[in-house]
Amino acid sequence: MMNIQTVTVIGVTGIMGANVAGIFASFGDAKVYCVGRDIEKVKRTIPRIVKSVRADTIARNLVPADFSMLEKCVAESDLIFESSKEDIQVKTEIAAMVGKSMKQHAVSGTGSSGLSINTIAKCYPENLRSRFFGIHMFNPPYTLQLCELTPTRYNDVQLKEELKEYLKNKLHRTVVEVKDSPAFLGNRIGFQFINEALQYAEKYKDNGGIDYIDAILGSFTGRTMAPLITSDFVGLDVHKAIVCNIYENTNDYAHDTFVFPKFADKLVSDGKLGRKSGGGLYQLVRYDNGLKRQTVLDINTGLYRDVIPYVFPFADKMKRYIAEGDYRKAFERLVNNHSQEADICCRFLLNYIVYSLYAAKEVGYMIEAADDGMAAGFNWCPPLAMYQALSTVADVPGLIRENLPDICWKVDIDELLAQVKPSKYDYRLYFKSGR
Amino acid sequence: MSRVYILGGAQTDFERNWTKEGKGMVALLKEVMADGLGEAGLSFDDIKELNKDNRVSCFVGNFIAEKYTGQGHLGAFLTEVDPAFYGVPSARYEAACASSSVAIDAAATKIRANDYDVAIAVGWELMKTVDSVVGGDFLGRAAYYDREGKGIDLPFPKLFGKLADETLKKYPDLDEKRYMDALARISVINYSNARRNPLAQTRKWFMSYDQASMRGTDTNPFVGGKLAVSDCSQVTDGAAVVVLCSEKFMKERGIKDKPVIKGYGHRVAPILFEKKMADNVRYEYILPWTRQAVLDAYRRSGLSVDDIDAFEIHDCFTSSEYAAISSFGLTEPGKEYEAVENGMISFDGKKPVNPSGGLIGCGHPVGASGCRMLLDLYKQVTGTAGGYQVEGARNAMMLNIGGTATTNYVFVIGAE
Repeated sequence: MMNIQTVTVIGVTGIMGANVAGIFASFGDAKVYCVGRDIEKVKRTIPRIVKSVRADTIARNLVPADFSMLEKCVAESDLIFESSKEDIQVKTEIAAMVGKSMKQHAVSGTGSSGLSINTIAKCYPENLRSRFFGIHMFNPPYTLQLCELTPTRYNDVQLKEELKEYLKNKLHRTVVEVKDSPAFLGNRIGFQFINEALQYAEKYKDNGGIDYIDAILGSFTGRTMAPLITSDFVGLDVHKAIVCNIYENTNDYAHDTFVFPKFADKLVSDGKLGRKSGGGLYQLVRYDNGLKRQTVLDINTGLYRDVIPYVFPFADKMKRYIAEGDYRKAFERLVNNHSQEADICCRFLLNYIVYSLYAAKEVGYMIEAADDGMAAGFNWCPPLAMYQALSTVADVPGLIRENLPDICWKVDIDELLAQVKPSKYDYRLYFKSGR
Repeated sequence: MSRVYILGGAQTDFERNWTKEGKGMVALLKEVMADGLGEAGLSFDDIKELNKDNRVSCFVGNFIAEKYTGQGHLGAFLTEVDPAFYGVPSARYEAACASSSVAIDAAATKIRANDYDVAIAVGWELMKTVDSVVGGDFLGRAAYYDREGKGIDLPFPKLFGKLADETLKKYPDLDEKRYMDALARISVINYSNARRNPLAQTRKWFMSYDQASMRGTDTNPFVGGKLAVSDCSQVTDGAAVVVLCSEKFMKERGIKDKPVIKGYGHRVAPILFEKKMADNVRYEYILPWTRQAVLDAYRRSGLSVDDIDAFEIHDCFTSSEYAAISSFGLTEPGKEYEAVENGMISFDGKKPVNPSGGLIGCGHPVGASGCRMLLDLYKQVTGTAGGYQVEGARNAMMLNIGGTATTNYVFVIGAE
């Protein structure tokens, strides 16, 4: 296995940089140079890194450093991981710096969640270009194992396989090889779903909007968190950057679903980014006496109001069946109930399957990649497992043709469905009986 | 008398938190029974058919659902799994953390006596319905609660911490550092074995020798005497099922190559920890009744430690796994550290212990652990353990204890 004893992580004061440093220092058992612009801030980050993997003993592996020491750190390292701002200018500059002092046999990677890996690779000296990869992990990496590995046109197969083995067997990542395509695979599928949910929130704003859609696509539909709560959790700015990147640089059948809605754009420009800024789509109001109240943005008025405890008969029944382990009956409810809400839910879940099949082909190399991506990166019921779940009660291809005629018209649905295989994931654990 | 065959079974993914999933006992039982029967090659219709002639029975192991979930009369709940269980004899068996071993024992006895042809043992516990302090108090009832549990925070880690102290006292030649080091290594072996087990609770967690041997830190605080969090098994939700059957059923179905239960041991030590320790002065072993249960199983099976290729040991704490090493005859009493230091009990050692990850790595839903262990033995001797397969395992053995090694259950299984 690749012998990685010393690692440099650049941009360690960011959430991802810190958490990835923790992975290298723990599972990787490597000495990690933690590089940030302000060394005092880096020092303050160390306890957070330790906490991220719940192991005090890794502290001795973490060495704080700043950019003045970068050259020396890089020169000593077997692996350099850059986790700087998601800005091609910044990343290419850092690549040029790393290229200057990187050892001939070292490996370098960027944690970019969707900038062109080939463009960054070009900033390395020619003799080092083949040693640079996209290594995209998900947050928090201690609990989400997904790692999207993006080779460039300069890489050779052997080094790629060695790195893959290291990520898999030493760092215990679920490695998915993806093409150098905007947002890669996990986020392409996940944010197609999330952004379309956001668009639907606007479309159905008179029915309640944000919490209305989340109540239709809650944890009983195969996920831990409803999609718009997820967006709030990730940050609307990050959400926007991902979907805009996809919208501008791809053109597939779901192109329009990547348009970031205007009302959400206004939230971003007002600095209402979600949980990290104290409010976004949702806002948790805390009172002096310790009481908390979850409120949600009313898209019509722009004001926050209490979250509505919606009761949709189909959802209510599904949750009750799931609580008793009667998954079949729950899915029967879903496909046989033709209320507006059940239809929306069904449409989303079916398109999730179709889009995953489509994206896996376009961005990945194997259909299983979409399954690994959604399970290990989002904790959602992965698409092949979703297919399996629904096939316990219905002919899924028939259901897709019936519910998504517009999409079937745009894609070669038979060809996509021909790729379906049994999933290695158990769908049951993803369907929860809660909101 | 019939031989007792193991047809197969299943366990749930011990990583799952059923409370967070919004699911309870019925969902748990539905999933594990469907999976377990499927793995054993049976359907609900088979159960219905067998039940017409009163040929099938169920044995439910659970420690203390009355506390965790507020529900009793647990034997009756298979009727909620499927109407096929209407009329099927079923009852709950309890012996603290060895509950499902009693269920297995009862099931095996009924097969041996030709009372039934198929006996289903299912163990389960849902422990994440409460926080760890409340749960710890519930578990205190596996000891003499009024005298050893009541009003004490986390009584069990403290009792097994005392076992560590007593071990050092009993073997004056045993260097404390060497002992604590062996305990840390035991923890690391279990965690690293769990990585190979796709249903283990800690399969994604980080644990290293450094982390396990640095006790008393923020991330590895002391929980009972010398023992820290890294020395403890987990709080786990889960269930496991094993399906046993008679020779007659094997023949009837034309089933071949299923392992048999070759022997068992069942001994109960004094419930009070103090009395246990007072009792052991007469013996070389710190847990003489654990040792006796092992000897009984060897005698009944006609096998010795040399014949056993894999072990599942009750590592509710590293100190209990340590004591079990000599009980199995892997080392002399007082020299257990040798088996740790020379790699004997490691996954690729001569006598792998807890290839599944054990209670520390795989998890410990208390009422399910006996069934989970037997299921893992089954997987080992049938070559179906996947990533944690011990190569060429023919015979395998388990120790499941209840309380502070009060109830001791041992089973040996292997190819016929």
